Amino acid sequence: MDKIILGRYLPGDSIIYRLDPRGKFLLTFYFVGIVFLANNVASYAFLLAFVLFAVYLSKINFGFFIKGLRPIFWLILFTVALQLFFTPSNHPLWHWGILTFSKEGMVIAGYIFIRFVLIIFISTLLTLTTTPIEISDSIESILKPLKKINFPVTQVALMLSIALRFVPLLVDETTKIMDAQRARGVDFGEGVLIKRIKSFVPILIPLFVSSFSIAYDLAIAMESRGYKDGEGRSKYRVLSWDKRDNLMVLFMAVVTIILLFLRSY
Amino acid sequence: MEKIISIENLNYTYPESKKPAIKDLSLDIYKNEWLSIVGKNGSGKSTLTKLIDGLIEASSGTITIAGQVINEENIWDARKRIGIIFQNPDHQFVGATVEDDVAFGLENQGMPREDMIKEVDRALALVKMSDFKTRDPQSLSGGQKQRVAIAGVLATKPQIIIMDESTSMLDPDGRKTVLDLVQQLRKQQDLTIISITHDIEETELSQRIVVLNDGQIVKDGKPVDIYDLGSNLRKYGLEEPFSSKLMSIIRVTEKLPEGYLSEEELKQQLWKLHSNM
Amino acid sequence: MEITFEHVTHSYEANSPTASLGLDDVSLTIKDKLFTAIVGQTGSGKSTLVRHINALLKPTSGKVIVGKRVITSETNNKNLKPLRKQVGMVFQFPESQLFEDTVEKDIMFGPMNFGATEEEARKAAHTMIKLVGLDESLLSKSPFDLSGGQMRRVAIAGVLASDPETVILDEPTAGLDPVGRLEIMNLFKDLQEKGKTIILITHNMDDVADYADEMAVIHSGKLIAQGPPKEVFNNQELLQDDVLTLPHSASFAKELQQKGFHFDKLPITINELGTEIKQQLNGD
Repeated sequence: MDKIILGRYLPGDSIIYRLDPRGKFLLTFYFVGIVFLANNVASYAFLLAFVLFAVYLSKINFGFFIKGLRPIFWLILFTVALQLFFTPSNHPLWHWGILTFSKEGMVIAGYIFIRFVLIIFISTLLTLTTTPIEISDSIESILKPLKKINFPVTQVALMLSIALRFVPLLVDETTKIMDAQRARGVDFGEGVLIKRIKSFVPILIPLFVSSFSIAYDLAIAMESRGYKDGEGRSKYRVLSWDKRDNLMVLFMAVVTIILLFLRSY
Repeated sequence: MEKIISIENLNYTYPESKKPAIKDLSLDIYKNEWLSIVGKNGSGKSTLTKLIDGLIEASSGTITIAGQVINEENIWDARKRIGIIFQNPDHQFVGATVEDDVAFGLENQGMPREDMIKEVDRALALVKMSDFKTRDPQSLSGGQKQRVAIAGVLATKPQIIIMDESTSMLDPDGRKTVLDLVQQLRKQQDLTIISITHDIEETELSQRIVVLNDGQIVKDGKPVDIYDLGSNLRKYGLEEPFSSKLMSIIRVTEKLPEGYLSEEELKQQLWKLHSNM
Repeated sequence: MEITFEHVTHSYEANSPTASLGLDDVSLTIKDKLFTAIVGQTGSGKSTLVRHINALLKPTSGKVIVGKRVITSETNNKNLKPLRKQVGMVFQFPESQLFEDTVEKDIMFGPMNFGATEEEARKAAHTMIKLVGLDESLLSKSPFDLSGGQMRRVAIAGVLASDPETVILDEPTAGLDPVGRLEIMNLFKDLQEKGKTIILITHNMDDVADYADEMAVIHSGKLIAQGPPKEVFNNQELLQDDVLTLPHSASFAKELQQKGFHFDKLPITINELGTEIKQQLNGD
């Protein structure tokens, strides 16, 4: 489980780290959207240059981004292969049964590949430079208007942040329980499907039991520290929107304009 | 001496159990004292903590905190006077970072942000964790997490700190730092400390020890008087202190004074015997 | 069954930007049928070390030899059952591994995974529950209705039920009260006397002095000392470097030496200490 880079925060400091998480969060989604506007070599090259520039600014070892691709490596390979061999063409270079291999196919496969790289890199950049709690704060801030319709935004945000806080703890607990059951002779990933599913019962039950006991302890601890119902609480952590965040939005607007220009080029 | 907590004829039975966890218990706790409550697992120690903080409701009896008899209306005020450090450091860390966790109690009181920033810094300085302010709990040792928990409690300026087996999951180094810190804070901040433990060696710093067995107080006295029980402590699931064990071995052939000697006193005594040879 | 580590290095997340070294070139022999304590500060690599013995972890380089079995980085995940049957492991807070609806079924879980018949496993459950000091009537109860201390014992019974030759214990008494601690430690000593190899990870130096025949000190992933506790606790270099704390009796003896008393080697148990004090006072 340690091997997944996407979704993991890496402590560090650079301009990208210091940007307001709300801006980063929304602009990441925005960027994923405009990736689909790219339609030619120039526009893809431009977006790739932009992402590499952002990666450079983050001062994070490039290896982390490559590693981010690893969990979905097979998905990428499959999709690229699909484009490579199934893109219909009037001038195939090679043809066998339903398989067609052509210049157009190669180009489309290349685009799809770049698209994957862009999306994975930019979202890896968001999670590597933004703590889960900053993301949860951003969501709270973005959802704030819903308070008007009596949606319990602050409570939900606290729930979300506590859930995030306990993820690493539960991952450790899961690893420990799995090791303990392995030591008692459980073999995960052996035998037919039904047997495999069954072998997870000795993991899931202890995990539920310990989650409940953590939740109970935590509730007692929170109550003893004066947590009542979430009303009348003040907030220690505030997000601040800076000049550099305005600049980021402006920069993104420029990127969009250049992209639109390159599209029709 | 001024009473800060007064418990009278307290009874409590867990809903799923027939046997009472606390039986007709009465106890006065004085301001600025360090009281240790000892007893084996299941003797009712932790139940008592939860009753004092109103986290569970007594079947009968009264608890008076700082002159106020606790009831459903004023329990939140009473809780402000009490801070609890629980056993498992991981199960009480609410915040995503050290500073967020320390601020949690203050947020609950609705304190303005500018004041909170000052209080968080003050509390972290008291437990010497200022350098760890922005760290996440995963990167801290058990002892460090408990120090953060103490800071979180100190931030709200309580009068009483209850340590509910707070050191039992720590390694020896972590245990020592936490206990020394609490002793220092007690003097410096005029706190009352109630520490709950089954480790007799952890009671060294306390001024008074209450031994709990089956939900009742079976002994209440100064540490020397309790340690003097020697091997009788085993009846209550406690260990005999080191010096008292050693004395009973040496006594077979050598003359030692009656009663309990601390390790320091025993050392002096042995040196005297040696030089008289 | 002798266990040998030959130049074992274990790197967490090898070949990644976040790689960290868990074990650094450890060579060590754990002798058959002895009680070996493994000590070291939190995070020193003790748990990483013992997880190699039943192949929960595999060496990044070097090899681990358990009886006739050799474990290297190449070792396949299949066919590890015979090894894991031989090496039982009680984890820290083992009560969190309980999951069956009755205590009996939970204790039977291990043996049945290792190929015992239901009959054999049931018999083992009845023997083991008594061995860990619990009443047979608890067998039909849900493990989740028991007290913390009882759950701990059931979990230990569940590991012992497979009749492992080697038992690894990772701080098995953490959180127990003194009486419970003593009973559990004596249980492990009895098991050793019945011919099992015991490996204990602990922070409690008094337990090391009282129960272990051999001890190994791990510091920052390296093995820095190994030998009988009496020798290791008298190793001046280690004590000066502050990587090892002394058992209570040894530190008391050390203080006594300030005036009059002299110990050729610091006594490490309270009985040794008492006897030596008496001898020195009688002038022998």
